[in-house]
Amino acid sequence: MEMTEKIEETARELGARVKPQIEEARRRMSSLNSSATAYIKDNPGKCVIGAIAIGYLIGKLAGRRG
Amino acid sequence: METRAENPPNGRAASGDGSKKLGRQMEKVGHTAEQMWDRTRDSFSDFSDAVDLKGRVNRNPYGTVAAALGIGYVLGGGLFTPLTARIVGMGLRIGMRLAVLPLLKQEVAEVLESIEDDDGRVRGEAAGKGQASKRTRTRGEEP
Repeated sequence: MEMTEKIEETARELGARVKPQIEEARRRMSSLNSSATAYIKDNPGKCVIGAIAIGYLIGKLAGRRG
Repeated sequence: METRAENPPNGRAASGDGSKKLGRQMEKVGHTAEQMWDRTRDSFSDFSDAVDLKGRVNRNPYGTVAAALGIGYVLGGGLFTPLTARIVGMGLRIGMRLAVLPLLKQEVAEVLESIEDDDGRVRGEAAGKGQASKRTRTRGEEP
């Protein structure tokens, strides 16, 4: 009984310690996502042409390796 | 058409005429370049109108960028490469797992249910037969 209680307590402590970090990471990811979306919406041409260029380079590299 | 007077044979051109001609040529080149730029801009705006790039980006920014990445990949000649084969294979494997597993689960559940039903029916029949034989036995024992 004591053992299970100890494990439960440890898990609770661990959860309490990790939870704020997870929340912070989630907030950061959310802000990163919104800023990336805003940048793409503000500069559609730049992003599309850049993506085509990056894809072209990846395709070239893949073709050379194959 | 330029006349012979405007364009005299070699060695007879006056220096003033030459500079005028050069100026005219430069003007023509500038005009042609301007026209070309206008046409390019118009065709690009027509293309972006046809594709509806802004609307597409507003609706689905990541999807548009991913599509552009794919177009670049194909243009770069990466379509028929081992990397593509590996990516497609991985996608197919994941897709199969996601799509086929629920179907398989359902099938297995149905088969198990039918087996259980059959088993129950067989047991029921066996129990019925047992009771009937008991009954006949008890009847037979009765004088």
